[in-house]
Amino acid sequence: MGLAGYIGKRAVRLVLSLIAVSILTFTLLQLAPGNFADLQRVNSGATNFGGVGTESMVGELESRYGADVPVWKQYLIFMKGAVVWDFGPSYKYASRNVQDIISEAFPVSATLAVLAVLLALLIAVPVGVFAALRQNSKTDHTTMFVVTLGHALPSYLTAAFMILLFSATLKLLPSGGWNGPEDMILPVLALSLGPAAVLARYVRSSMLETLREEYVTAALAKGGPRRTVIIRHALRNSLIPLVTVAGPLLAALMTGTVFVEALLRIPGLGLYFANAAASRDMPLLMGTALFFALILMVTNLVVDLIYGLLDPRIRTVGGGSHDGH
Amino acid sequence: MSDEALLSVRGLRTTFRRDGAEPLTAVDGVSFDVRRGQALAIVGESGSGKSVTMRSVMGILPRTARITDGQAMFGGRDLLAIGDKELRKVRGRDIAMVFQSAMEAMNPTLTLERQLTEHLLWHGICNKAEARKRAVRALGDVGIPDPEKRIRTYPFQLSGGMRQRAMIAMAMVTEPALLIADEPTTAVDVTVQRQILDLLAELKNRGTGVIMITHDLGVARYFCDDAVVMYAGRVVERAPMDRLLDDPRHPYSVGLLGSGVEVGGRELPLRPIPGSPPDLSHRPDGCPFHPRCARAELPRCGTEQETLTIGPGRDAACWKVAVDA
Ligand SMILES: Nc1ncnc2c1ncn2[C@@H]1O[C@H](COP(=O)(O)OP(=O)(O)OP(=O)(O)O)[C@@H](O)[C@H]1O
Ligand code: SF4
Ligand SMILES: [Mg+2]
Repeated sequence: MGLAGYIGKRAVRLVLSLIAVSILTFTLLQLAPGNFADLQRVNSGATNFGGVGTESMVGELESRYGADVPVWKQYLIFMKGAVVWDFGPSYKYASRNVQDIISEAFPVSATLAVLAVLLALLIAVPVGVFAALRQNSKTDHTTMFVVTLGHALPSYLTAAFMILLFSATLKLLPSGGWNGPEDMILPVLALSLGPAAVLARYVRSSMLETLREEYVTAALAKGGPRRTVIIRHALRNSLIPLVTVAGPLLAALMTGTVFVEALLRIPGLGLYFANAAASRDMPLLMGTALFFALILMVTNLVVDLIYGLLDPRIRTVGGGSHDGH
Repeated sequence: MSDEALLSVRGLRTTFRRDGAEPLTAVDGVSFDVRRGQALAIVGESGSGKSVTMRSVMGILPRTARITDGQAMFGGRDLLAIGDKELRKVRGRDIAMVFQSAMEAMNPTLTLERQLTEHLLWHGICNKAEARKRAVRALGDVGIPDPEKRIRTYPFQLSGGMRQRAMIAMAMVTEPALLIADEPTTAVDVTVQRQILDLLAELKNRGTGVIMITHDLGVARYFCDDAVVMYAGRVVERAPMDRLLDDPRHPYSVGLLGSGVEVGGRELPLRPIPGSPPDLSHRPDGCPFHPRCARAELPRCGTEQETLTIGPGRDAACWKVAVDA
């Protein structure tokens, strides 16, 4: 089977999964108590604010979906738009289309995610290797203790703490917003620590496992300098499976991080998604949910392709570029 | 030490550190000689310390292991005393190791070329282009067809027999004076086994000394000139190979080989002896074999331990054998 065939098969599976996700999400949202209009009325009653556009919006929606259309037909109408990247207008952000919101917010979350995962890897790989090479020593135990702490600390707490320290006290960094590169420092730091801890643990155990492999001993038996053997034979092979951890981590961060984005006033996907959920903004919820699913599955595909690229054993199975014996 | 000895090991003791217990002595005063162009068989049950002995000589023990006593004279130098930096120049160049399973001893993500040339470069034997030529020649020498093409493949793309031969080529490519083979034929079928033994025999004829760790007395008989029998980290008997098979002296060897049994067949597995090898952490006092020995005579066997003499001819570490003679 060629690489193109493999990707084709995966693409078909991806589309089927997306359809399943859409049906499931749609059904669940229909079943969920409360709807946008009700919530708006409650809110406007309570706060005397907002809810102004509600009636006109319902009208607009009716013009899109038609009045008294059965639920399954609403679904089909929605999906018909979705396949051509048109999710229709948001309820809450009435002047904007869902796809425009996603196109604008996703790059923000994605930038944060990529930077955070890169930073996490930059921290995790040396720390994990360092701990593995000193397995069960005091250094190892201390490092892993710190890593556990880093893992246990939620990113919004880290973010809050860093705002206090770097913005409020030291006045070195802006305390939020999204205007320039300096605004990225705090969120990237806050987002990377948890993943760094997860990845460091993973690198350590993967490295320990590889160091026990006979081929590492065999390379030493050939007279290889310790450092070369560790890098060429052990590290390389222990980092290959890391893509299967880093990939999903990246996907999770790319779909937005509600707390950090809210705390630092970053217009990312997480923020919109949270708001959409709170106000039962159906089109935005459906749109983002489908988009998240797409991101996750594409990431998985990319992870598998990269894995194949790095590990010749998989490459030949997936790509069939080599002959056997 | 005899003049012609290539490697002379004397009184080797290797211990493993344990948590909350005395170190475990895995190799306890082992001595043997290997001569140029000759093969020494090391036989003994699982756990008797055969591999640890060889890994001690090569300096490739795990970090928990320590060599506490002994000498390993090779080329006029004590390998156990010259330090890792000097030892590194010897291992893989003058002494090479062949492992039980090439599947495990070869790195799955590196090509044969990389693995067959890297030690030539590490030892500064030649440049990269020349190393490649030598590697191709070595692959051809071990009977791998189309070596120019095969050298670009990964170990898993070869059949089991080919892979095992590639590993031997990897060991041979530096033209070592001594080859240590740790059960090189247990993981392959009988035909391949025969081919590999013929290959090793050819090396032997060209003057390479070989140490062959094996469970298979058929293999030992076919290929080896001398033998030592190990039990619980000690050498209990040493003798010319055919003498050992025809007339084993130490009660353990007798049990292992089966006294009076005609050893005509090629396939000759070690015969199980009633009881199990001692738990090395509770080594019996006196002769370590006495709890299982058919000829044991208390109290002497439970208190005194015979030591093996060093020198030409044969000897067994048993006082009753000395009385027989
Ligand atoms: N990494 C290790 N840590 C602790 N103890 C070890 C380790 N490796 C070996 N030992 C101890 O040394 C003893 C001898 O092991 P060794 O591998 O030399 O046996 P062997 O004779 O090669 O057996 P086999 O025929 O199964 O290969 C074992 O029984 C074990 O108690
Ligand atoms: S010394 Fe005693 S116990 Fe040991 S082998 Fe000889 S007879 Fe058996
Ligand atoms: Mg062994």
